[in-house]
Amino acid sequence: MIPLSSFLIVGAALFSIGIIGLFLNRKNVITILMCIELMLLAVNINFAAFSHFLGDIGGQIFVFFVLTVAAAEVAVGLAILVAYYRQRRSIIIEDINTLQG
Amino acid sequence: MAEVVFPFPFPENLELILPEIILAVMGMVVLLMSVFLSVSRQNIVAGVSIATVIAVGASVLYVSGSDASTTFYGYFVLDPFAVYAKLLIAIATVFAMMLSLNYVKDEANVGEYYTIMLFASLGMMLMVSATNFVTMYLGLELMALSVYVLVGYQRDVLRSTEAALKYFILGALSSCMLLYGLTFLYGSTGSFIFTEMGDIISNSGEDQRLAVLTGMLFVLAGLSFKVSVAPFHMWTPDAYEGAPTPITAFMSVAPKVAGLVVFMRILVDVFPGLQAEYTTILMFLAVLSMAVGNIAAIAQRNIKRMLAYSTIGHIGFILLGLIAGSNDGYAGILIYMTIYLFMTMGVFAIIIMMRRDEIQGELLDDFAGLSRVRPGYALAMGLLMFSMAGIPFLGGFWAKYAVFIAVIEADHIILATLGVLFSAIGAFYYIRIVKYMYFDEERVSFNFAKSAPLQVIVVLTTLVIVAIGIYPEPVMAMCRLALAGLV
Repeated sequence: MIPLSSFLIVGAALFSIGIIGLFLNRKNVITILMCIELMLLAVNINFAAFSHFLGDIGGQIFVFFVLTVAAAEVAVGLAILVAYYRQRRSIIIEDINTLQG
Repeated sequence: MAEVVFPFPFPENLELILPEIILAVMGMVVLLMSVFLSVSRQNIVAGVSIATVIAVGASVLYVSGSDASTTFYGYFVLDPFAVYAKLLIAIATVFAMMLSLNYVKDEANVGEYYTIMLFASLGMMLMVSATNFVTMYLGLELMALSVYVLVGYQRDVLRSTEAALKYFILGALSSCMLLYGLTFLYGSTGSFIFTEMGDIISNSGEDQRLAVLTGMLFVLAGLSFKVSVAPFHMWTPDAYEGAPTPITAFMSVAPKVAGLVVFMRILVDVFPGLQAEYTTILMFLAVLSMAVGNIAAIAQRNIKRMLAYSTIGHIGFILLGLIAGSNDGYAGILIYMTIYLFMTMGVFAIIIMMRRDEIQGELLDDFAGLSRVRPGYALAMGLLMFSMAGIPFLGGFWAKYAVFIAVIEADHIILATLGVLFSAIGAFYYIRIVKYMYFDEERVSFNFAKSAPLQVIVVLTTLVIVAIGIYPEPVMAMCRLALAGLV
């Protein structure tokens, strides 16, 4: 049987990859959206693992809510990105610099 | 036909969610109306939306008279605390919609704009009534997703879409952090209900401590993002500057009220056993917010950007109430939010009025010489700015007074001293606007369009701020009453 800690390590690794990708990536906004998805998946792995080991169904139900919200979030994010691209004609992160102060 | 057996008894006291039902139904009705109405009659949509939110405020008052205070098996609560927060949210939404009347009337798809505002306030109302993390998270996301869209509403303006993009990325990151922290809290308690988790955490042993502390850190960081506490404030100036001005007004009040209410509920219900730990973290956040907000604002030339930093500073002062951790402290937060609502809405009404003849009216220079052309507006703006700075016997003074007294009573003298120091620094950039208006020559013309709703808001908010300044007791008593449900 795989112990709980293994699941948590996978979750933590995915979450860290997501955060590191978010901050180190200098190229493309799409990558940022993928990093956010990765972090949400890490959250889901944690919830499912805890839910299984606690014998409590609540965590698995929360996973469904997270999945739903993640879908809505990506829909809104991509829509904003398309609107931005129409104005700027670029989605390179270094070009997102109109607002500064 | 087999008989359908409902696994749970039908929830009792469903009337408590009447305000939310009105919002959800009318949100969809407004969307449909805007599709069927011709372009020239889109202003009906705005009227219906404003009427809806007023009806929601009235229905909140109506259901608050009910004997019961929870529904959906205890997952939704309407205590005096939630009632007060919902009233603030409804007032903020009505004001923001009135500010929008002239601002968006020439834009395409006005119906979507008001629909999304209604859904944003629905999310906030669910948040402040949440007694568990599931309801809280769903309300939070409904609010956040709606506000991202509202920030980017001007799709043909580069800075609006860019602000939405930045806000979206950092907002999504903060949701992830909140959830990741929540997984650890769930793992060590096996529950999502605030009070149950609080009991288990208070009685947990050393072996759970690391998981609980990690969870708390991530949850606090996620919430801090939402209420723009430094060092999680990076999105605030950009989002405020790029958003349409009525939305800037909306998002600087309503989501902050909802976020702070959730902040208070979580600290009081979930982490009563970790008060020493979270107080230390909050002290750091509060001092940093006051410093960043009040010092960085001095360098700004754009008034929306300046007000963004001003919000960060005000949130720093508000955190002092959380640090005090007493009834007085929490009452101070509500008092602060109430007064802040009126000050902010008044200031943004004047900023929107400054938009004229192809000038955005957002630069400090645009205010130069206002007193000679429009002495009334200059006086209102001056009073609101003095109030924001916390000059005695205007509303803003009592807001700061309430939280400072609470934090002094809790024996954090150094924090109170720092707070007074930073509010003195902050007074500089507020009063600088008064100097622009009264002592500088006018550089641009002042022929702005008349707008009755804006004038009403300016007069109303200024009167409220002066009235609270002279006679603050009713507001303070109301806020203390509202705390009955929390502690």
